[in-house]
Amino acid sequence: MDIFLQQLANGLTIGSMFALVALGYTMVYGVMKLINFAHGDMVAASAFVGLTIYTQIMGQAASLAAVIVIFLLTAAVMACIGIILERVAYRPLREAPRLSAVVSALGASLVIQNGIMLIWGPRMKIFPELVPQVYWDFGGVVISLIQVIILALSLFLMVSLYLFVEKTRMGAAIRASSIDQDAARLMGINVNSIIMIIFIIGSSLGAVGGLFIGLYYRGITFNMGWQYGLYAFIAAIIGGIGNIPGAMLGGMLLGLFNAFIAGYISSTWADAFTFILLILILIVRPTGLLGERVAEKV
Amino acid sequence: MNRTFRNMLLTLCTISLMAGLSWADTLKVGVQAPITGSYANEGQGIENGVRLLASQINAAGGVLGKQIEVIPCDDQGTAMAAAICAKDLVNKGVSMVIGSYTSTCAQAAQKTYFNAGVIQTSDGTADSLTENGYWTFLRNSFPNSAEGEFAANYMVNVKKYKRIVVLSDFSTYADGLGNATEAAIKKLGGNVVSRDKIKADSQNFTPVLTNVKSKNPDVIFFAGYYSDGGQLRAQQMALGIKADFIGGDANDNPDFIKLAGSAAEGAFIINVPSPDVLPYPIAKSFIADYQKTYGEMPPSIWGLMNIDGMRAIIHAMEQNKSFDTKKAVDYLHNLQTPIDGITGPIAFAKDGNRKGGAYVVKKIQADGTYFNEYVQ
Repeated sequence: MDIFLQQLANGLTIGSMFALVALGYTMVYGVMKLINFAHGDMVAASAFVGLTIYTQIMGQAASLAAVIVIFLLTAAVMACIGIILERVAYRPLREAPRLSAVVSALGASLVIQNGIMLIWGPRMKIFPELVPQVYWDFGGVVISLIQVIILALSLFLMVSLYLFVEKTRMGAAIRASSIDQDAARLMGINVNSIIMIIFIIGSSLGAVGGLFIGLYYRGITFNMGWQYGLYAFIAAIIGGIGNIPGAMLGGMLLGLFNAFIAGYISSTWADAFTFILLILILIVRPTGLLGERVAEKV
Repeated sequence: MNRTFRNMLLTLCTISLMAGLSWADTLKVGVQAPITGSYANEGQGIENGVRLLASQINAAGGVLGKQIEVIPCDDQGTAMAAAICAKDLVNKGVSMVIGSYTSTCAQAAQKTYFNAGVIQTSDGTADSLTENGYWTFLRNSFPNSAEGEFAANYMVNVKKYKRIVVLSDFSTYADGLGNATEAAIKKLGGNVVSRDKIKADSQNFTPVLTNVKSKNPDVIFFAGYYSDGGQLRAQQMALGIKADFIGGDANDNPDFIKLAGSAAEGAFIINVPSPDVLPYPIAKSFIADYQKTYGEMPPSIWGLMNIDGMRAIIHAMEQNKSFDTKKAVDYLHNLQTPIDGITGPIAFAKDGNRKGGAYVVKKIQADGTYFNEYVQ
């Protein structure tokens, strides 16, 4: 039972990181029907941006206030980069065939990845211990302060995002744009600014995910975005790409699944089983767990 | 038509002239190392070291009158890139290749160098590297089996651990060291309660460690690289596993201590002695030059091992008064007295293994420095 609960805690921590990153994929896909392959590298970049903000601007002060400032500044910087990315790589191809946009996304991914390498170098960078190493032992199940922070902040961000999309006027405009861009435009919605908002939200959530990776694992490399991006992308597909609660559910499920496979079977098989799970879900529910069943118009 | 032909002829002439010039004037030394990727720290250490040694030799007049030209190739620590590097370096006409850092990459490139008659010297410690009978391969470090025996003896006879967990990743080096250690422990009558593997670079090791915790071990022996080892140690402490941690030789890198953070204290690392405590005069002067040139210490002993391999090959060429690679290797296989090296005396067995080698167990102190806990 100890082991089960411990793996549950492990799975929820990593799952909430996947979920935060997956939201970026799913929101962009929902509105633009585009898979933003550069998102994983944006997440990696945010970890480096956060580290630089800490060492250069904050003067290496470690306190709660410092951590909050790092999160806010990094999210702001990444939101700007997200806007630039959309302007440069995606907007000119809005009316182009979908394949061109995908190729552009792959190109953007390479540019960002190599940009990180050129700016911060190819070596692994190491995050300072900003969160004190505090642990609680609940009868054999050990939970650390950083795990609690990750879980709590992720849940807070996800609930806020859900409420924003479901309850506000802006959220209604986002939903309208994802159903039919032309009709939304006819209703007086500025689709361009909606897409910009999507990129701001997606990139900021990705930034939080990237900082979590830095704070939790502490070692960051320029090419780590690929791995996290792939997992988050799978999480988005499992939940139903384009569906916001689906991405959260998919991320959590994937994290738990990974922890239990690695714990009970073997870490050797964790990736293989992840892809088997993906294939099974796509066979049974081709639109993902929470995706809507849409009749294909021929 | 005429003009096209003339242009082609001109181009051809230029190319052959350039090729001829470079063929005639320099001794080409290839560096195959992970210059980017997870092991970039080590890869850059190898490249920096080779460039430094080359510039020192060139300043002193070169090798038999030829200047050394260093040609680096980045294998990123992956077998696929290593195979491409090997072909590329051979095509560029190198006569020796220094590296790579990982056994996986050295192994992926071995056959290409053998077929081309290019000498390869690597710090890869996997036993399998010298089991193919390639005369071109010279190991400048000491094989896993020797380290495995030392580690097993330390854990079973010195520390008297009762419940040992052996972890490794899937790479040639780490899996080899893990298996060698496990076999040596069993031979000494020790109790291995779990032999598990982690996926390198996956960062999330808590699922595996949670299983390890349920085995209630007194020690975790990790055969693998520092980039994973530091995180493994941090996550071990975060899960409240009170076992000792012993890392194999590839954990010996400053990044291990930075990654583990406050959890680093008390961890053990088994390796040959560190660069800063090498007693040899030649080591002291080379390390001082390295610090002066690059503003930092060599990242670990591994870069220096590779430099020793290069020094041995060049020494052999100078003694033979010939650039013939086969003759140089024959000379090194039949050395009567070892060559003075940065990392100790250099001599090679007929199968390409380096002779000798002594290990130490280093304990990491609160301030991040090493304390030699046990010396062979």
